[in-house]
Amino acid sequence: MSDKPTIWRALDRKAMAVAEFTLRQQRKRLSTWVVMGVGFIAMAVLTMFYIDSMMREYEAIDNDGDSRDFDMDGYPNGQENLYGTDILDPDSHPGLLNPPVAPDDPSKWINEDGFDIDSLSEGSYGYDDDGDCRTEEKTDSQQDTNNNNIPCDVQIYKEYYSNNFRINGDNEVDEDPDEDAYAKESIHRAFVLALGKFGFVFLIGIFVPLFMATGLIRDEMSSGTMHYMLSKPIARSEVFLYRILGFLGLAWPYMTGMVVLAALVTGFFGPSEGFFRFGDLGVWMAVLLASLLSLLVYAMLFCLLGVLWKHGIILALPFAAWELGMILTTLGAPEAAILRFSVIGWAMNIVDAGAALAWTDTSLLVALGLWAGGNTLGGSEPLTGSLALEIFASDSGLGMTPLVTIVVSVCVMLIQAATFWFIGGALFKSKEID
Amino acid sequence: MSDEAPNETEAPVTGQGRMDVAWGSDSGDEVDVAQTSAQTAHGGEIFEQKYTTWNGTLNPRWMRNWAILRHHLLGIFKKGHRPWSMPTRIFILIAFIGSLTDAAFTLLSSLIGSAEFHSLFGVSRDNLYGHVLGFFPRNVLFYPLVAALLVGSVISEDRQHGTSALYFSRPVSRFDYIGMKYLSVALIQALVILLTYMLYFMAEILAFGRGWAWMVDVFPMFLSGFIAGIILIITYTSIGLALSSVSQGKFFPGIGLIAIIFGSKTLASIVKNLFEREILYLLSPYDCVAHVGQAIIGTQQTYDQYPWTYSLVALVAMNSIALYILSSRVSSMEVTRE
Amino acid sequence: MMPDPTQEGRGQTKEWKPDVDMPVVYFQGVSKSYGRIHAVSNITLGLSGGVTGILGMNGAGKSTLFKLLMGKLKPSAGEIRLFGTDPWKNPAPYAKVGFVPEHEKMHDWMTALDFVSTFARLHGMTRDQANTEAARVLDFVGLSDVANKQIGKFSKGMRQRAKIAHALVNDPELIILDEPLQGCDPLARTTVMNVIRELGKMGRTVLVSSHILNEIERITEQIIILHQGKLVALGNLHAIRERLDEIPHTIRIVGKDARSLAKDILEHPAVFGLSFPSETELLIQTYHFGSLHAELPGLIVNNGHEVTLIDNPDDDLESLLGHLTGGGA
Repeated sequence: MSDKPTIWRALDRKAMAVAEFTLRQQRKRLSTWVVMGVGFIAMAVLTMFYIDSMMREYEAIDNDGDSRDFDMDGYPNGQENLYGTDILDPDSHPGLLNPPVAPDDPSKWINEDGFDIDSLSEGSYGYDDDGDCRTEEKTDSQQDTNNNNIPCDVQIYKEYYSNNFRINGDNEVDEDPDEDAYAKESIHRAFVLALGKFGFVFLIGIFVPLFMATGLIRDEMSSGTMHYMLSKPIARSEVFLYRILGFLGLAWPYMTGMVVLAALVTGFFGPSEGFFRFGDLGVWMAVLLASLLSLLVYAMLFCLLGVLWKHGIILALPFAAWELGMILTTLGAPEAAILRFSVIGWAMNIVDAGAALAWTDTSLLVALGLWAGGNTLGGSEPLTGSLALEIFASDSGLGMTPLVTIVVSVCVMLIQAATFWFIGGALFKSKEID
Repeated sequence: MSDEAPNETEAPVTGQGRMDVAWGSDSGDEVDVAQTSAQTAHGGEIFEQKYTTWNGTLNPRWMRNWAILRHHLLGIFKKGHRPWSMPTRIFILIAFIGSLTDAAFTLLSSLIGSAEFHSLFGVSRDNLYGHVLGFFPRNVLFYPLVAALLVGSVISEDRQHGTSALYFSRPVSRFDYIGMKYLSVALIQALVILLTYMLYFMAEILAFGRGWAWMVDVFPMFLSGFIAGIILIITYTSIGLALSSVSQGKFFPGIGLIAIIFGSKTLASIVKNLFEREILYLLSPYDCVAHVGQAIIGTQQTYDQYPWTYSLVALVAMNSIALYILSSRVSSMEVTRE
Repeated sequence: MMPDPTQEGRGQTKEWKPDVDMPVVYFQGVSKSYGRIHAVSNITLGLSGGVTGILGMNGAGKSTLFKLLMGKLKPSAGEIRLFGTDPWKNPAPYAKVGFVPEHEKMHDWMTALDFVSTFARLHGMTRDQANTEAARVLDFVGLSDVANKQIGKFSKGMRQRAKIAHALVNDPELIILDEPLQGCDPLARTTVMNVIRELGKMGRTVLVSSHILNEIERITEQIIILHQGKLVALGNLHAIRERLDEIPHTIRIVGKDARSLAKDILEHPAVFGLSFPSETELLIQTYHFGSLHAELPGLIVNNGHEVTLIDNPDDDLESLLGHLTGGGA
């Protein structure tokens, strides 16, 4: 590289100068640290609840009652059923068989028949691990209570009036899932999504720019210090852009740090076979991407509103309320067309698509939790965690494959940011500064 | 350019002479040319100033305080008093009209005569609660935003411009100053929340010709809703003014109040949905007020893990922390332009 | 995608060049009005080189004129050229301009060196260049020993000088100072005045505004007088005064024996009136201020009078404006 000053290098230097100036200005302000500190504390509180729920044991329910021992002979009912002895007769138990069988620990028969379903598409699934459906004591119709002519299976079908999958199993098939494992897995996923969507993309993604970017130009304009910058050979739309860059220079590392921290904590505390849940990193990447982009877009927008009007906050606050409405809409109706007129709708697409890539079986997990093994004895309660996961997980709503959704959403958000920049720069250019 | 030309009184000064110099010569500075124009503008006037001493008597304290309060309150309605910004005033008007929708629907339902319609909007336990504490739209779009806009500038602007000196250089104590600011912000909110509440109640009475029996029946409900409204106003005002007293920016107190109200509410509902714990509701000003309000009005309670007295205690704690910050900040406030 | 520094809707393709055929500062029929208030009306002006003082009372439109020139405000009518370029549309000529705004507010959290060098980098300098240049100009305005102190801790005069340093860092050809002497103590005032005179000697175009005639007089003789947004006079200060010779001037003399002094002075042909406000005070009315003012010291010394003060109470901006505008203050 030659040292000859070119226009591009001069631009570079200006960008660095303004961005660095903005960064230092924000850094010197107490309010910056208060806002960021409060954001961190809020996320830390949420994470504490998460850690607590991961550390505690969720009560295991013996849905079919076969861990009980009706005849008090030391052998749980399930074991006696398996060996064909009478569960009501203390003098009939597998210990009398030849060779004698040692009695099982009753806890082995609490969660003995978990879900054996691997995909959420119409068809027949499931395997009766404990054999209490396949037993010859049952008639054909008793083995096929869901009437699909396949004995002892779990049928997945679509409701004829909607696109939702329903699960209908034969009695005593896959009826005894591991509540604790299920609750932890689904609460873990729900937490990752809730923290990503509401914590990072919504709360931090909106309020940090609201606090710090609304006044980027306006504060300087009203205090008169903008004169120093604008009496230099630099275009106003450049100033606008570089101020935002300076803001992002502080906000992006902050957001990245928080997301990485959250990924580490949930990775180590989350339920997994290894020591760390590497599988979640895809979701966290999507969350990071979405939250960084939303910081960018909101910063551009709020800075624009600040330039537009001395009381830009009056426009910005209702917009924040609108975005709150939109994020709630994405949970229930991710395909709603109105979401295309929001920023957060696109950000949510990225998170949801990332989740769809990393966890292909989330919708299956929800469906199974709501079905809860047919609830032979547990009543009609869905499994703990399934409702939470149902709330926070949703489709990406664009009707495209996840990767395409991410690419499209990123492009749209970049276009939004560029549009806000152009409008903001043009507005700033036409402002008279007193 | 002739030497006589500049003194022609009618000729406006054009600067042409200097421009000729600027273009034509490099020694322009030394040229003794001058142009003047007469009769084109009036000179300033110098006033004879005479100082006369003030012979009045100082009004009692309450009268001085009333002047401050009046100055703030009337600013909402007309010029010449505290200049609340135009957008704030417009928004208060919008919120006022928006809050009157249920009164309007009550009148409408009496015209239509549909009982179902009346049960949706007419005065009932749930609707009285909803008028003051309903989350959407009133506590999302109207009340917190009104509070945020009001507190946004009420103290921080004084700090920023140093105009608090206008008060403190007069016989007004800091406590009076802050008390009147507090009262004025609260009263303006009461205008939006409680006045519309009363109008709503009146609309029902007038539209349906309710008699004494009905009034005696419903009045306790109305009163408890009124009290809930007062609690709401006090809470928002305390927190908002505390934020306003610690900052000097224009945007910070407003955004801060909104962030506290919406942020804590969002956090609490995340925790509730994920982990089935309601403890965080005790940190959310809106939820605590709603809980207490539900208890005293007697509607279905949304929050059942903790008794409503917990929420009341939380509210008392929030208010006292906010008031402590406010009073300590104001008593240590330096009267200067910061 | 890169921003367009020319603000003309397309990327900058070549470096901006000043128009050498135009004066540095050029106003053609410029007006600026806010609603019904005319802050500046119909100003036509061209300036190149030298120090020019812009005089006017508060609200006369001095700052508006500067802000128009710096592209902060858009003229309601007329044409403004800065080095031949419209400053509202194109900020490129600011490369050759230094502007000292009137506002007192500064970035208090920065040190003087940071303040100057940060804004120097907006001229396309590297960090090192900017630091060198900043040190140079801070030395020029006499702040080098406090360069690393926060601006928030500066006195008003130091702040004013820091602002001037910030404006000088790009070695500008045109320097605009809006009320640079306001709020300065006498020492700072002298320093700032010296700096301005120095810049004038270096051949730069300097515009200084003030509402105090004395200050401007000490800096330059070339003035522009604005009043209520209108240009009422421009040119050499003495020349303007000469034109006003027909209008009576007052000279105030304070001395021990005012009465005996009066006898001697009355003989001078230019004097047409005397009055004694007090025992030691003498007010002289004259139509030929210039000649009397020149001869007065000789007159006093030759006659052996003791005089403690000679001063012309009329000779401030108000009376000048009064005469210029026919008000006769």
